Amino acid sequence: MKQYIARRVGYSLLSLFLLSVTIFLFVRVTGDPVSLLVEPGASPEDIENIRHQLGLDQPLWEQYWHFMANLAAGDLGQSFYYRTPVLELYFQRLPHSLLLAAVAMALSLLIGIPSGILAAVRVDGFWDSAGKIFALLGLSLPSFWVGLVLILFFSVYLGWLPSSGSGGVAHLLMPAFTLGWYFAAAHMRLTRSSMLEVLGSEYIKLARLKGLPEALVIGKHALKNALIPVITLAGINLVVMINVAVVVETVFAWPGIGRLLYEGITFRDFPVVQGVVIIGGAMIVLVNLLVDILYALIDPRIRLES
Amino acid sequence: MRTSLSQSALTTRRDLMGLAALGLIASAAKPAAGAPDGELRVGVHVSLAPTWFDPAETPGIITPFMLLYAMHDAVLKAMPDDPMAPCLAESGTMSADGLSYALSLRKGVKFHNGDPLTAEDVKFSLERYRGAASKSLKDRVARVDIHDPHRLTIRLKEPWPDFLTFYAGASGAGWIVPKKYLEQVGDEGFKKAPVGAGPYKFVSFTPGVELVCEAFEEYWRKKPTIKRLVFKVIPDEATRLAALQRSEVDIAYSIRGELADELQRTPGLTINPALSSAPFWLYFPDQWDPQSPWHDRRLRQAVSLALDLKTINEALTLGHSRATGSIFPVNFEFYWQPPTPVYDPASARKLLAEAGHARGFDAGDYYCDTSYANIGEVALNNLREVGIRVRLRPLERAAFFKAYSEKKLKNIVQGASGAFGNCATRAEAFVAKGGTYAYGSYPDIDALFAEQAVQMDRARREAILHRLQQAVHDKAMYAPIFQLAFISGVGPRVGQSGFGLIKGFAYTAPYEDMTLKGKA
Amino acid sequence: MTVIAPVTTDTVASSAPFWRLKGFPLIPVSILLFIAFVAVFADLLAPHDPQIGSLARRFKPPFWLEGGSVVYPLGTDHVGRDVLSRLIFGARVSMVVGITAVLVAGGIGTLLGIVSGYLGGWADQVVMRITDTWLALPALTFAIFLAAIVGPSELNIILILGLVYWTRYARVIRGEVLSLKQREFVRLAVVAGCSKSLIMWRHILPNVTNSAVVLATLMLGVVIVTEASLSFLGVGVPPPKPAWGLMMADGKKGLMVGYWWLTVFPGICIMLMVLSANLLGDWLRVKLDPQLRQL
Repeated sequence: MKQYIARRVGYSLLSLFLLSVTIFLFVRVTGDPVSLLVEPGASPEDIENIRHQLGLDQPLWEQYWHFMANLAAGDLGQSFYYRTPVLELYFQRLPHSLLLAAVAMALSLLIGIPSGILAAVRVDGFWDSAGKIFALLGLSLPSFWVGLVLILFFSVYLGWLPSSGSGGVAHLLMPAFTLGWYFAAAHMRLTRSSMLEVLGSEYIKLARLKGLPEALVIGKHALKNALIPVITLAGINLVVMINVAVVVETVFAWPGIGRLLYEGITFRDFPVVQGVVIIGGAMIVLVNLLVDILYALIDPRIRLES
Repeated sequence: MRTSLSQSALTTRRDLMGLAALGLIASAAKPAAGAPDGELRVGVHVSLAPTWFDPAETPGIITPFMLLYAMHDAVLKAMPDDPMAPCLAESGTMSADGLSYALSLRKGVKFHNGDPLTAEDVKFSLERYRGAASKSLKDRVARVDIHDPHRLTIRLKEPWPDFLTFYAGASGAGWIVPKKYLEQVGDEGFKKAPVGAGPYKFVSFTPGVELVCEAFEEYWRKKPTIKRLVFKVIPDEATRLAALQRSEVDIAYSIRGELADELQRTPGLTINPALSSAPFWLYFPDQWDPQSPWHDRRLRQAVSLALDLKTINEALTLGHSRATGSIFPVNFEFYWQPPTPVYDPASARKLLAEAGHARGFDAGDYYCDTSYANIGEVALNNLREVGIRVRLRPLERAAFFKAYSEKKLKNIVQGASGAFGNCATRAEAFVAKGGTYAYGSYPDIDALFAEQAVQMDRARREAILHRLQQAVHDKAMYAPIFQLAFISGVGPRVGQSGFGLIKGFAYTAPYEDMTLKGKA
Repeated sequence: MTVIAPVTTDTVASSAPFWRLKGFPLIPVSILLFIAFVAVFADLLAPHDPQIGSLARRFKPPFWLEGGSVVYPLGTDHVGRDVLSRLIFGARVSMVVGITAVLVAGGIGTLLGIVSGYLGGWADQVVMRITDTWLALPALTFAIFLAAIVGPSELNIILILGLVYWTRYARVIRGEVLSLKQREFVRLAVVAGCSKSLIMWRHILPNVTNSAVVLATLMLGVVIVTEASLSFLGVGVPPPKPAWGLMMADGKKGLMVGYWWLTVFPGICIMLMVLSANLLGDWLRVKLDPQLRQL
C-alpha cells in the first residue's frame, strides 16, 4: 500500500511539473507583457528598462530556474500588473470564487436533482420533458446573454437587485443562478440516469414487492443510492466552476479567480497566469490523488492492477 | 495628455505663473463653502492596480492618471485652460543655456499625513521615479540641488528640449510623494497605504473590486466639495451602463457604440465625450516593397478616399471623434494640420483604375486589435465598395502589439497610439527609421527627424517637424482614421463632472472641482 | 458561458449498433436535418451577402415592426448586415465548427481512451495524468495561446475546442474499455494470439463507437456554446464571419438599447440545435444502453 501511494504521489508531482513547464513556455511564446505596460510608441530604452525590472531580459532557462526555486519555497512571484504577490491576490479572490461556486452549485443541484428525479419517475411524461428542456436551456444559452437579460430585468427594469459587484446576498443571486443553471443540465441528466439505474435494481424491486409506499421507495431507498454519483460529480464540478466562471465574473463584475486569470492572460501577467494555473492544477491533481488512494484502500485489486 | 513647455514659453511665462499662483491663493483664501459632503461613485472599465497609487511606478499608459489626480499632486501638471499649470511650484525658470531649471515651491502645502511638502520631497520623488520614462530622465538629469525648503534646481547633463514634456507630463516623476513617510513604510507599505498631496486621501482598496478615497480638506488649491470618492471596477460595458442607469454609479467610463446611443436616450443621464490623444490609422507595411501593390502611392491615397469617416464616427462614437487626417494627436506640441480628409469613393476608384486595378484587387489581410475590430468591420465595407477586397484579421491585443512591433504584419494594419509625448516622440516610434512600429522609412523624413532632434530653438524645431508631418501626409504613408473620442456617461446626481476640463484627458479631473447637485 | 462544460460521468454502455433501431425522435432530428440543409445550401438561400453591410441601414428591426422592411426580414446588425443571411451562413460556420471540433475531440479522446484503458499501466498513468492537468487549463488559456501563435481563424477555434474537450471522451471511453477488456470475446482474441494493436483496432474500437456517437451528440451543444463564450471574450471566430456565437456576442450590447433581434434569433438557433442534439443523444443512449432498455 505504501508503495502504491508513493507511486501515485510521484505521478502527481510529475504531472504538476509538466504543467508548470507547459504554462511557463506557453505564456512566453505568445505575447510580450511590456508592450501592454506602455503605450505603443514608447521609447525603446524605456521598454528595455521595464523588461529589466520584470526580469524578462534574463535567458529563459534562468527565468525558469528562478520560478521553480521560488515555487519550491512556496512563492509564486509577483504580479507584473498589480505588483502584488500572486498568492496574496489568489487568496483575496478565492473566498469570492468559493462563495459563488458554492451557491451556484447549490442552485444547480436544486434545479438538477428534483427535475432529474421527476424525469426518472415519469419517464417521457410531461415533467420529464419540461425538466429536461429547462435544464438544457441553461446549457444552450450563453451565460453572457443570460446574465445581461437578468440584469436588464431584475436590475434595470424591476430595480430589485444590484447590477454587479460583490457584497450582500443580493449581489450573489444573479451570478450564482447564471453559473448554476449552466451546470444544472449535467446534474439533472446524471440524477435521472442514476435514478433509473437504481430503480431497476433488485433491492428496489424487493422493496416494492414488500409493499412499501412508492414515495418511500423513491424518496428514501432509491434516492440515497442514486445521489452518490451525483454528489461525486458535483464535487469535481465545484473545482471546475472555480476555474471557469470567467464569463459570469466579467458580466457581473464579480472579483473571482476566473477573472484574475483572464486579466492575467490579457495583460500577459506571467506570474499570475502561472500561479493560477498551477494552483488550479494542484487542486485537481490533489482531488484525484485522494480519490485514487481512497479507492485503493477500499478495493485492493486496483493496487495490484497498476 | 498634453504637457510641454518650450524654452521660450517658460522664460516668458515666469511672471504669468506667479500671477496664476496668486490668483489661486486668492481663490483658496475665500471662505470655504462648508465641509465636503456626499459620495460619488465611478464605474471604471479596467482593473485598478496598486502601482497606480505610486507616481514612481507610473507605466507609460494614461490610465493611472485617473487615480493620480485624486491622491497626488505634481510640480506642474495639466489643468483646465493650461496644459502645464504650476501646482506645487509657484514659479520656475530655465537658464539661458537650457541646462538648469530653478523651481520655487508653494509654501504651506501639506501631505495627507500632515507633513509639510518641501524641496527634499521633490528631489526624492524625481530620483525615486522608476516608471516607463525613467531611463530617458535619468540619462539626462545630472543632479538636483536644494537651496532651501522651497527652492531647488534641476540640472541636466545636456540641453534637452523635451525635458518638461517628460517631467511635468505623464511620466510621473514630477508627482510628489512624502520622503519621510516612504522611508518609514517602504515601497510595499506605501502601495498599501499611499500618502500624497492631492485633493483626496486613500481610505481602502480591494483589488478587482473598489478603491475608496476621502476628501483632504487641507488641499492647497481648494477644499473638495465631495466627501467620498469610490472607484468601482465593472469590466463589462453593458453592465457599467446598467449600473449607471440604476444610479449604482454616478460616472461610467468608456461607453461605446450603440450603448452610447442608449446613454444619450436615457433621461437624466448625460454623455461626456472627451477627445483622447489616441489617433487611429491604417498603415501599409509593404509600401517599401516594389513588388507589393501598396508600393503605389495612388492605392494608399485611394484607401484614404474610400473611408467614410463621418459615418464611421457617427456610428461608433456618435460623431465625437475627430477626423484630423493625421496620425499625430491634434493636441500635441508641434502639430501640423493636414488638409481635412474627404470621402470620395469615385476618386478612389479612379486612382485604382490609374494604378491598373480597374476591377478592384485582393489586397490581402487587414490586421487589427480585437478590441477595435468594430472599426475594422466597418472600414472593410468601405474598402470593398471601391474594389479593395481585404480579409479582417483581428488579433488579441497582446498578440497584435507583439506582431506589430516585431514587424510581422503585412498588407494593412489598423493601429493606434495613446502614448504621451509630442509630435517628435510620435515620429520616432512610427515614422523615423528604426522606430518600434516603422516597417520602413523615407530618407528625407529621416533627415528631418535627425535635424529636429538637435534643434534647441523652438520655432525652428517646429518648422522642421511641420515639414516632417507634411512629408508623411504627402507620401500617404498612413491612411489616418480619426482621433478617438472616449465616451463616458454621467448620472443625474452629478453637478460638475470634470469631464473635458483638461484638454486631451479622457477621465474626470480635477477632482476638487467636481460637485454633486444641490451640494455646491 | 463557462468556458469548460461541466464534467459528466455518464457512462454509455452499448451493444447494438444505433442505426438498426427504429423510432427516431422526429422533431429533434428534423430540426438538425433542417439546419444541415440550410448550411449546405446557404449560398442559394441567403438573400444578401452575410459579410457586407452599410452603416446607412444599421439596426433595422424585423419586417413586422415599424421601420422594418421585407428586404431585411429579420433586421440588420450594427454594421448594417442582413441578420437572416448571417443566420443562414452562420448555420454553416456553426455546424462546421461544432461538428469538426467534436470529431477532433472524439478522435483524440477515443484513441487515448482506448490506448490507456487497454494497455493500462504506464500508458494509462500518462494519459490519465495529462487528462487531470488538462482540466486545470481553462479553454480560454488555450484559445488565446493558439490565436496568438497561428492567428485567429475558424480552424483554430476548431482546434481549441477539440483540444479542450477530448478529455471528456478519454475518461468515458477508458471506462468502457476497462469493462470490455473483461469480456469473453476480447479474452478469446488474446488467447488466439492477436496482437494488442489488432485487438484495439478490430475488437475494442467497434464496440466503443456507439458511446462515442452518443457522447458526440451531447458534446455538440457544449462546443457551440463555448464558441459563443470565446467570441464574448474576443477570441472566437473572427468577424465579419457569421457564426451564431459571434452574432450573440456582437449583438449583446444591442440588447440594452432594445435591438433584441440581434441576439434573440441566433439564440433561438443555438438553442434549437443544442436541444435537438441533446434530445437525440438522450434517446440514443436509452436505446443503446442495455440496462436502461429493460425498463
